[in-house]
Amino acid sequence: MATPFKYVGRSYPAPDAASKVSGTLVYGTDLRLPGMLYAQLVLSPHAHAKVGSIDKKAALAVPGVVGIYSHHNAPSTAYCRYRIMPGQAGCIDDETLFASTARFFGDRIAAVVASSLEAAREAARLIEVNYTELAPVLSAEAALEPTAARVHPGGNLVHEFEYAAGEPAELPAGAVRTSTTVHTQMLHHAAIEPHTCLANFDSAHKLTIWSPCQSVYGARIVVADLLGLPYNRVRVIKVPMGGSFGGKQEFILEPVTAFLALQTGRPVSLTLDREECIRSTMVRPEQCSVVRSAVRADGELIELDIETLLAAGAYAGSSPDYAEAMAQKLTRLYRVGRYRHRGRVAYTNAPVAGGMRGWGAPDIATCMEVHMDQIARQLGLDPLDLRLRNLVHPGDIDPLTRRSVGEARVRQCLERGAEAFGWRERAAMPPGLGRIRKAVGLASGAHKNGMLSNDFPEISTMTLKMNEDGSLDLNASIHEVGAGSLVMLKTIIAEELDVAPEMISAREADSETSPYDFGCFGSRMTYVCGAGALALSQMLRGRLIEAAAELLEISPEALEAVNGRVQRVEAAGTGLSYPEIVQGARMRHARDLIVTHTYQGTSNPGSYCVQFAEVEVDVLTGLVRVNEMLTAVDIGRAINKAMVEGQCHGAIQAGIGSALLEEVALDADGRAGTGGFKNYHLVNAADMPPVTVLLVEHEGDDGPYGAKSVGEIATVPTAGAIVNAVNRVLGTAITTLPLTPERIVAALGEAAATRGRDASCC
Amino acid sequence: MLLNTVVNGTAVSLDVVPDARLIDVLRNALGMTGTKEGCAEGECGACTVVIDGAAVNACLVFAAQVQGKSVLTVEGLSSAGQLNALQKKFIENGAVQCGFCTPGILMSATALLARNPKPSQEEIRRALAGNLCRCTGYAAIIKAVAAAADEGRPT
Repeated sequence: MATPFKYVGRSYPAPDAASKVSGTLVYGTDLRLPGMLYAQLVLSPHAHAKVGSIDKKAALAVPGVVGIYSHHNAPSTAYCRYRIMPGQAGCIDDETLFASTARFFGDRIAAVVASSLEAAREAARLIEVNYTELAPVLSAEAALEPTAARVHPGGNLVHEFEYAAGEPAELPAGAVRTSTTVHTQMLHHAAIEPHTCLANFDSAHKLTIWSPCQSVYGARIVVADLLGLPYNRVRVIKVPMGGSFGGKQEFILEPVTAFLALQTGRPVSLTLDREECIRSTMVRPEQCSVVRSAVRADGELIELDIETLLAAGAYAGSSPDYAEAMAQKLTRLYRVGRYRHRGRVAYTNAPVAGGMRGWGAPDIATCMEVHMDQIARQLGLDPLDLRLRNLVHPGDIDPLTRRSVGEARVRQCLERGAEAFGWRERAAMPPGLGRIRKAVGLASGAHKNGMLSNDFPEISTMTLKMNEDGSLDLNASIHEVGAGSLVMLKTIIAEELDVAPEMISAREADSETSPYDFGCFGSRMTYVCGAGALALSQMLRGRLIEAAAELLEISPEALEAVNGRVQRVEAAGTGLSYPEIVQGARMRHARDLIVTHTYQGTSNPGSYCVQFAEVEVDVLTGLVRVNEMLTAVDIGRAINKAMVEGQCHGAIQAGIGSALLEEVALDADGRAGTGGFKNYHLVNAADMPPVTVLLVEHEGDDGPYGAKSVGEIATVPTAGAIVNAVNRVLGTAITTLPLTPERIVAALGEAAATRGRDASCC
Repeated sequence: MLLNTVVNGTAVSLDVVPDARLIDVLRNALGMTGTKEGCAEGECGACTVVIDGAAVNACLVFAAQVQGKSVLTVEGLSSAGQLNALQKKFIENGAVQCGFCTPGILMSATALLARNPKPSQEEIRRALAGNLCRCTGYAAIIKAVAAAADEGRPT
């Protein structure tokens, strides 16, 4: 297909791909500094306990031990691990470096610092902590009982809210009311690189932190505020990251590692093992939502009324914002006359909940899409038709925010996806009566593009300079998570300045040297930072043309920038090359080809995805196999085709895991039985189904060349599509995730939804 | 104890404690940090190396177990600064995202292609079943291994 682009829309490898395949890229876990010490944490073995005396005698006798820290000899200043700005609304300072009350199985009780990892581990084993066990509160529902033990002194209700739009109306004749209760589980982010951090307080009294984080400025604020240091004495450097999926978005290891470096005056490295990552970092929240709707007989949604109860775990972190984010997805997806979403967030003695890929959108989409299939069954409608009747149209106004959903092409995703998947024919096939039965399911989902809301701005500052040889340096606070942000930005700059992408270098975030940016999250990299890079490139192009005009002594209007030169319009080979302009402008006119720009985002359209799944279920064992998936994504424009497709495949792999396999489960005492990948199963290569990716491309939104976000939206509908397919196979109404064989067999046996405990959470 | 082994074609002789894991000797004593640790229990495969032709989790073997054997790590795939065909196919096919699982997957694929130069899709999937990747959904990786096999000179 003809494309107006020279570089945009092609496929480029991940950044540093050559150093990744040769094993030479230095990740956080590979960093070593002279005189570096190793830290080992002591984690609470109890879900809820008072921390009494700590006997360090035997531990201190281990050769190589430099120091042991706990709440007895560390500041008790409370902080919020999620903060990215001073004074940020929604941040609750309730966490300390070391707990004086252990609030979950995995809470930080102490840390040993030693000259070797072996010594640190040995000493950590020898520390004797005197605990007084307290009754744990293990579910959000239990936490809100009046008699529940308090996780924090102020009570267990962290946050509650209500969003509403439209007025309740009298229901027309034939309208149907439906209610579905859906429970989603705690998930481990499962980046293959464990959490790691290195910190050093040097002789110039500057604290440097090397972290595979998603916001150097956020880490700087949290650490500097906690330790009482001026912001310019804390330098945070983003190092190569072996995956995050949101698990490294919040500042979990940075505060404690920085504190240990400050105390010892030596570089300190802290790397968790897998069990510690699962237990003590953060999880996707466990939540339960009741979705109630009123629908006309023809399927038109009249009302949606949703109640969400979300477990924050031991510390509030991002849970208040996360729960509110869940409430702001569905009015971008469906037209509905009356929408109300009430939410409550409760402390529990469980692992700390936090943002994960999709940030509430997969959770609420699963609830809504399972509910939509229930409506379809009740009304005898094809699930496809029910969605077509209700999905938003381009230019619709989201009634909650009164902002446009933009060029929303979710209907096109549904129609083109259904056609390519053969939905009508396959949906008409009976699942069969044998032991192995199969059926198809679908689900849709909406997400966002950046963090712009009615009370939060979107900005990103970047600097672009051209060197004497025409090569370019982009300086921006970019946090590459592996998804190709740096390549995306280089591609845009290459397109705008008409230079080869190899001519552009772009480095990652360093709070001391790179300009301000919030961080790499919120589906904002392409839509916001990409648009910023485009504006910046256009400004530099203007400066190149002006400088060339001055050198050539002709009007800038007569010039254009093409193929690495500024030339007379449509006169190839005339004018000056970029190197000639840079050198000439500097020597003759004291001009430098460097531009800094603060881009301001002014829109936040919806991103959309519709997915189709075929599953087969063994009704004897309850095992589910996903045979095939199709994902149709409203991408706007794929800047880097291969990476966009890679995001789509990986998103489905994670979504299948969340539907069928993955769960951080607690026992009756609140201990995580999930000690590692041996019992936290990810979908592997053998079980991954074939996936077809359909990209719906168009212009009209403010992203570069129309581009919108992909990494998060692409995982939003997956679990819903699979749950719907399984329920269509079996004629069941399973609404508790994951759909383990036990739950499936139980549902078949009882034709009841799920086990008692799970279904009763709301 | 004195360990005598061959790593990436070079004879290595060094003193190790008897219970040292191979992964620690590679990463710490030899400074070869391309071999990654993701779980320490043989589930994720990030530490996969090839020992006498077989793909093995370096977190599950003692260094002492490679006495007199030949170990190939990701650092041994390139020669004279040139990437081999398998590495190139990984780059060309978009099989690399965050890259943390990549070394282990390359080593499992190397062992597969050495014993089965023309594997089917299913055989590739099975050979990589012990390597977890959270980024790619495996499709591009499987394509890259198949492309390297098609080229005939994978390693």
